[in-house]
Amino acid sequence: MARLDIANVTKLFGATRAVDDFSITVTDGELVCLLGPSGSGKSTLLRMIGGFEKPTYGSMTIDGEEVIHLPPEKRPTGMVFQSHALWSHMNVFKNIAFGLKLRRLPKAEITQRVEAVLDLVGLKGFGERLTHQLSGGQQQRVALARSLVLEPKILLLDEPFASLDQHLRERLREEVRDIQQRLKITTLFVTHAQDEALSVADRIVVLRDGRTEQIAKPAEVYRTPATPFVAGFIGQMNLISGVVSEGEFGHSAFNVPVAVADGPATLAVRPEALTLKPASGVGMGHVHRVTDYGTHAMIDVELPDGERLKSMMPTADEWSSMQQVDLVPGAFALYRDNAAIYRADVGTPPRKAPSRTRGTVNA
Amino acid sequence: MSAAGGAVQAQPEPLDESETRRRPYGLLLVAAPVLLVGWLVIWPIVSAVIRTLWQPADDGGYEFTLETYVFFFSDRYSLDNLTVTLWTTGMCALFLLVICLPISLYLRFSVGRLPAYVQSLAIFPMFVPSIILAYAFIRVLGPNGMVDILLNAVGLPKIRTPYLTPWGPVIGLVWDNIPLTVLILLSGLGNVSNQAIEAARDVGARWLQVLWYIILPRIGNSILVALSFSVLGIFSSFTLPYVLGPAAPEMMGPFMQRTFRDVNDPQMAITQAVITFGFCIVFGLFYVRSVARNRGK
Ligand SMILES: Nc1ncnc2c1ncn2[C@@H]1O[C@H](COP(=O)(O)OP(=O)(O)OP(=O)(O)O)[C@@H](O)[C@H]1O
Ligand SMILES: [Mg+2]
Repeated sequence: MARLDIANVTKLFGATRAVDDFSITVTDGELVCLLGPSGSGKSTLLRMIGGFEKPTYGSMTIDGEEVIHLPPEKRPTGMVFQSHALWSHMNVFKNIAFGLKLRRLPKAEITQRVEAVLDLVGLKGFGERLTHQLSGGQQQRVALARSLVLEPKILLLDEPFASLDQHLRERLREEVRDIQQRLKITTLFVTHAQDEALSVADRIVVLRDGRTEQIAKPAEVYRTPATPFVAGFIGQMNLISGVVSEGEFGHSAFNVPVAVADGPATLAVRPEALTLKPASGVGMGHVHRVTDYGTHAMIDVELPDGERLKSMMPTADEWSSMQQVDLVPGAFALYRDNAAIYRADVGTPPRKAPSRTRGTVNA
Repeated sequence: MSAAGGAVQAQPEPLDESETRRRPYGLLLVAAPVLLVGWLVIWPIVSAVIRTLWQPADDGGYEFTLETYVFFFSDRYSLDNLTVTLWTTGMCALFLLVICLPISLYLRFSVGRLPAYVQSLAIFPMFVPSIILAYAFIRVLGPNGMVDILLNAVGLPKIRTPYLTPWGPVIGLVWDNIPLTVLILLSGLGNVSNQAIEAARDVGARWLQVLWYIILPRIGNSILVALSFSVLGIFSSFTLPYVLGPAAPEMMGPFMQRTFRDVNDPQMAITQAVITFGFCIVFGLFYVRSVARNRGK
């Protein structure tokens, strides 16, 4: 329903930079996930959009109108909090109707709109319940309904399902996604669960210490993470420190040809892109542990220097502990100074490092 | 169940049977305090009521009579005293609410060093004995007190001092009861989560609306508890009305004391006490009811 522009927003709490020079444009009907570890500034950012915190610097406009000086009650935003935000002295109907009542709508219209939104969130007939007579999931649906009934231009969700169990969380996030698509409502969704972000977002913002690491579509964030942090944060990733010299990335266990300038670098390869091959004689490493997940197997490989890598293989059958193996990276990326400097889509088989061990850099 | 066949199905023992069996022990545990309360509190009340209703008759026996009550409720002076007590209590309740609610709201919703100081200041009267408070009151607001001296220094007329008027006890008692009221209100406000308030602002409530629709309904019980606590104390208070109040009409506390000591009419003093107790028990019931309602939730 609306477009949100955030430009160079910084928020200081004393000396803490909770959000640091953040910019994004969220277009009409888009669902953007804010993803990051604890303390990365996700909530602070969302609370600034909702009007509960004032940015120290920067500007925020909704449909071109500057909102930074507006208090929460005057902003066209609706926020769903993590928990404990329902008003326990009102029943479900009154919780949802409160905002409409403040807007002095006629009674009949209030009833009709509340019933409609209860239906939308799957709580038809729950209007008379008291909030403590609801399950955690139902409470969060009421909180969602309470925001939706006011038809906000922008919907803000701050880890709304964090206190729920995994199954319920998956179901509710699908529902939120459905409702969001149906209403075409511009939405910002805070989460620290990467699977949540990957499954519902149109775009993902990865935050770290208040700074943007990457803003991109889920597939892109997964396939071509912009920084080693994103690479490590989203999905599983093997990060190997080493040195590039004479066109080869070198690690004590193996070398991979890369076309970049010499210097230290970090090689990132996903477990599913790292294939194993039984080695004849002494291999690049040995199998440390085999975990069979049924659909696939995860093989932990220990390199001679003690570093462990994960490799995803179709079955667990061929692998056993202490077995000598060689590594075959498929797609991988090379990072230097917090940026990608090289990406290989199809791997070139690595050579086992010569025994005169190269200078290795280990993180 | 194969062996049982058509035999009577063994009823499983209800799991909570142990609960009913445990109950006598619980009762035993509270028996001692209950007996103590009965002996030290309930019995004196009962005996006082009996002593006012059955009085020595001319023939040496005891007879049922409402004489002292009839006297109390037909005596102009006694009624005035009761009225001034009710008035003082009501005024104090009103002022306590008007003063303590903003203080507690401020303490609950602001952060930093200043609220900590304000809180200690609000709790401070708790540590000041009433008699010292009364003395300070006289030195500040009394005739030729500090306020008078200051006003005089800048050439303004003297104030009409509240000392020895019904306002004297009101001011003293309000000051004395601020800490308890603030503490109880604060604990009530602690139950109102920040998110509940932010959610209200988010759907468009301005501060006054948040206060009226979200905060007050949630702390209604605390307000009731705070007021019944202070009202109970104020209604039967002695020191402050005795020192700061007018000679007539006087509050029930000093009135009882004077009837007992100076007038030497214990029978009448007990009657006044029973009547005072009757009013207090009404406030007490308010308190009990709000606690019970809270428990029910
Ligand atoms: N009111 C505040 N006063 C001082 N510092 C704050 C305040 N709110 C947040 N911070 C700090 O700002 C940083 C970002 O906090 P924020 O709550 O936005 O993190 P988050 O990404 O939401 O984390 P989480 O996943 O744990 O919720 C943290 O370092 C936090 O300590
Ligand atoms: Mg947070």
